Amino acid sequence: MGEVIVITSGKGGVGKTTTTANIGIGLSMLGKKVLVIDTDLGLRNLDVVMGLENRIVYNIVDVIEGSCRLKQALIKDKRFPELYLLPSAQTKDKTSISPEQMKKLIEDIREDFDFILLDCPAGIEQGFQNAIAGAGRSIVVTTPEVSAIRDADRIIGLLETSGIRKNELLINRLRIDMVKRGDMMSVDDVTEILAVDLLGVIPDDEQVVIATNQGEPVVGEAGLAGSSYMNICRRLLGEEVPMEDYMKPESLLEKLSSLFHRN
Amino acid sequence: MSVHSVFVAKERLKNLLIADRMQCTPDAADRLTKDLYLTVSKYMEITPEYFDIEITRSDIHIKYAGENK
Repeated sequence: MGEVIVITSGKGGVGKTTTTANIGIGLSMLGKKVLVIDTDLGLRNLDVVMGLENRIVYNIVDVIEGSCRLKQALIKDKRFPELYLLPSAQTKDKTSISPEQMKKLIEDIREDFDFILLDCPAGIEQGFQNAIAGAGRSIVVTTPEVSAIRDADRIIGLLETSGIRKNELLINRLRIDMVKRGDMMSVDDVTEILAVDLLGVIPDDEQVVIATNQGEPVVGEAGLAGSSYMNICRRLLGEEVPMEDYMKPESLLEKLSSLFHRN
Repeated sequence: MSVHSVFVAKERLKNLLIADRMQCTPDAADRLTKDLYLTVSKYMEITPEYFDIEITRSDIHIKYAGENK
């Protein structure tokens, strides 16, 4: 029976889709059979982040309306062993699917996968209700900003009300330099205020933008974000991976190297 | 640039979350704190500096002197 995880945030633009793509890819690299589902009806994006936008024939609404079989709508990502995408519909709106239909769809396919990741739309309306309907646990993505953390708190409350008890936080785009000079909330600040378990931290890393430009993953690549995403995947598999310590003082070598790179 | 902006952020965020969790304004949260203080003080000896309430998503914690923080 696969584990069904919704990736959500409340606020838009904090990195839900990038997170869904990279965790999905990372889990498949670790040998799991993974399905990622884009539940953002009308604003289809997960396919683009994954570089699969040219392979879409059918979408999730086609499956639910019975216009095609589920197997026909699944896109296999050939770069990875067992990774599949169920794309969203670009021309439908969020009322095309009900939470009950979503729940049934997931129940029907759960047995075929180790992990099903649901990329949730921003907001707390029906799109959110659809995305969480079939989920057993959640990853709440936030950035270290007042507005994003406030929305994350709201979302955690709504998830708990809906009976989803296992909610873990992913802090995205942490600017280590800004935390060090007291101009960005630290990981401890955020977890203390939100009082929720921490799944992982992704430092701000331009490699994420570069990889997303190309429709490539960053997980598993060298660099801070790539290794942090892989650590998150290992934690999801139950491994005890210690949290990265980004606050440790720079070594002499790192200082010299940043001095060198400045010019 | 006298205060690090992170302190301002945390203060604003904490006030927002209390208001969100109670679904009322920060001012109403202050009034609740005062009312709870008065109510509790009817039954036990407390002083304002050792009295604090904390509102989380599911509970309201009342802290007072002698209780382990």
